[in-house]
Amino acid sequence: MADYTWPSIYFAYSYFVLMVLGALVFLIRTVKDGYWGARGEDVKYQVFDSHEEREEGRTS
Amino acid sequence: MLRKADTSATWAAIISLVLFFIGGILTTVVPPLVDTTWAKPFENADPAKGPTGKLTPLNELQLQGRQIYIREGCWYCHTQQTRTLLADTKRSGWKGVDSPVSTPDEFVYDDPHLFGTKRTGPDLSRVGGKYDEQWHRTHFRNPRDLVPGSIMPPYPWLVEDAAEFKAIVAYMQTLGRAKDWRPDNDYEE
Amino acid sequence: MQEQISRAEIAGGAAPSGALVHEDTTAKWFLVSSVAYFFIVGIVAVVIAAKFVWPELMSTIPAMGYGRLRPLHVNGMLFGWLLAADMALTYYLIPRLCGVRLWSETLGKATAILWNAIILGAVVSLLMGWNQGLEYAELPLPLDVAVVVAWIMYGFNLFMTISQRRYPAMYVSIWYVMGTILWTAFVYLTGNFAVLFTTGVNQANLNWMYVHNAVGLIFTPVGLALAYYFIPKASNTPLYSHKLSMIGFWSLAFVYVWTGAHHMLHGPISQWLQTIAIAFSVMLLIPVWAAVYNFFATMKGQWHQLRDNVPLKFLMSGVVFYLLTCFQGPMHSLRAVNAIVSKTDWIPGHAHMAVLGAFSFFAIAGAYYMVPRVWGKQLYSDSLANWSYWMWMIGGIGFFVTLWLGGFWQGWQWNNPAIPFIDTVVALEPVWLVRFFSGILMFAGILFFSYNILATVLGEKPKPTAA
Repeated sequence: MADYTWPSIYFAYSYFVLMVLGALVFLIRTVKDGYWGARGEDVKYQVFDSHEEREEGRTS
Repeated sequence: MLRKADTSATWAAIISLVLFFIGGILTTVVPPLVDTTWAKPFENADPAKGPTGKLTPLNELQLQGRQIYIREGCWYCHTQQTRTLLADTKRSGWKGVDSPVSTPDEFVYDDPHLFGTKRTGPDLSRVGGKYDEQWHRTHFRNPRDLVPGSIMPPYPWLVEDAAEFKAIVAYMQTLGRAKDWRPDNDYEE
Repeated sequence: MQEQISRAEIAGGAAPSGALVHEDTTAKWFLVSSVAYFFIVGIVAVVIAAKFVWPELMSTIPAMGYGRLRPLHVNGMLFGWLLAADMALTYYLIPRLCGVRLWSETLGKATAILWNAIILGAVVSLLMGWNQGLEYAELPLPLDVAVVVAWIMYGFNLFMTISQRRYPAMYVSIWYVMGTILWTAFVYLTGNFAVLFTTGVNQANLNWMYVHNAVGLIFTPVGLALAYYFIPKASNTPLYSHKLSMIGFWSLAFVYVWTGAHHMLHGPISQWLQTIAIAFSVMLLIPVWAAVYNFFATMKGQWHQLRDNVPLKFLMSGVVFYLLTCFQGPMHSLRAVNAIVSKTDWIPGHAHMAVLGAFSFFAIAGAYYMVPRVWGKQLYSDSLANWSYWMWMIGGIGFFVTLWLGGFWQGWQWNNPAIPFIDTVVALEPVWLVRFFSGILMFAGILFFSYNILATVLGEKPKPTAA
């Protein structure tokens, strides 16, 4: 069997760098797209049907 | 981009498939291309490189036996892999000689593969040639007659059908024989 | 937001003005058949547990042999009960989250009929021994094709519903259901069709990619979709964080598919592929903890509701089991741990905690929540529902814990070649006896659950007309 020690080390380091870069890109995008704004969590109230139930959920 | 994925189902679907395919392709399509030993049948004539021998495809009768092995679900309780663990090589060994570990090139003709995930009974990757026909006949009829404490179910209908019995024993005697690794004397006395 | 109710809840009267009325016929059909299979396959489960203790039980009948009943148990529970129940619940919750009716009830009913035909075909073929010899993919080819057709019908129906939704932003459950539909399609095609063109280790690699992802990319995302919907609904508390749920979703989408080869650790497969599978198995902790933290944080200040809210009991116990099982998974992917537990009885203990303890608990909670609503009746008995919970809980813990301990004993004994193999079998006999009795308790859970559902559906206990 061939020796894959060095290729796997290169793979691991470049993979790690890629992940960090990806995380940074997505962090910047979330800020730009307004995920951290006041309405960023609105979606989670969709599970409640009626308006009242929704408002209740928000306050409790 | 994120907003788009959040509000457009098409975007979300495309991105989740792309992520899935990165891992999917790298772990299923690529490995056999990188490691060519997966598809090359075992063959070795040089004792310096380890056990000698040659993997040959099963004949008609042995294939028939393999079908019975699958039909009766033997592979749910018996694995067919001697793993890279010392204990496995000892347990698969024979008369004091340790068995070599299973390598991909020994299974090239296996379709479906029968590596198994659960070892309720012993591993069968090197069982070929260890027990003779009479042993298997008695054992299939009632395993507890030969191995007290065994929980293997009896398979009387395999013994009663002479053709099926011949086929399944013929198949089991092939298991692990591609590598010529052990003392000659076959069968438990 | 608009009020949404089920057709049965207005009981022939006029719908409140402006309310969206759901038919829910497809959800009803799928749910009733899934509960029926749960009961029938539950009997098979107890029988195979008994066979470990009394190996001669029914052993002269080929169709009742262990090797034929085990695939029936696995396929029946996975596809007959759990996947069908998951489909029923998604037919219920997706239209509600989208604020529109299901795209086509006719297509949905056709899917339910086809699904039942597949399960009945599976029962016959597995008992006859028509087995393809690949784990989780035992069904003969014509049935595989039928599953693909049914899945396309299901996916198309839900995607059309989602595309017509009234709210542009999608709640996390919709994400998970979409992921389930897409990933399942490709995972299933790999495990049932791509394997036919390969042999040996290559085939095993595809097979285990499928086996692992049948749980990781089918039952996990759809189970989480249920949990994300029913935990806020059953406790009437909004989810802790939408953002966190998104992190969980995308990390699951990326990480899960890589891990198939961890089923062959120490086996005849390339070492580097095993290492990749291990690394990604450890990374599974990210999506798991993201989801579990979200559920726990949602319950903050609401734990008292667990005292008398049966669906919530199932949901939160399911979350705990999910956390445990997904902690085990990465841990026994490590080579040192794997050398002990792999191929032992630890593995069924782990698998049952995932599929029964976590995902079936979510589906059961969903069923207890949905059935009274879509049939417009009161649940037949809350106390019976409570009993079913405790039967499952006690039986389940008995089952899981004894098999983990037993698995470790077994693994340690195997790793000492001085111990003859048969002695390691005899040593496990008490473990299998406890497993059988735990199985009886769990079957009592199934019995109470299915009777409760049946009595609710057929019974005449109308819903109290709430103001």
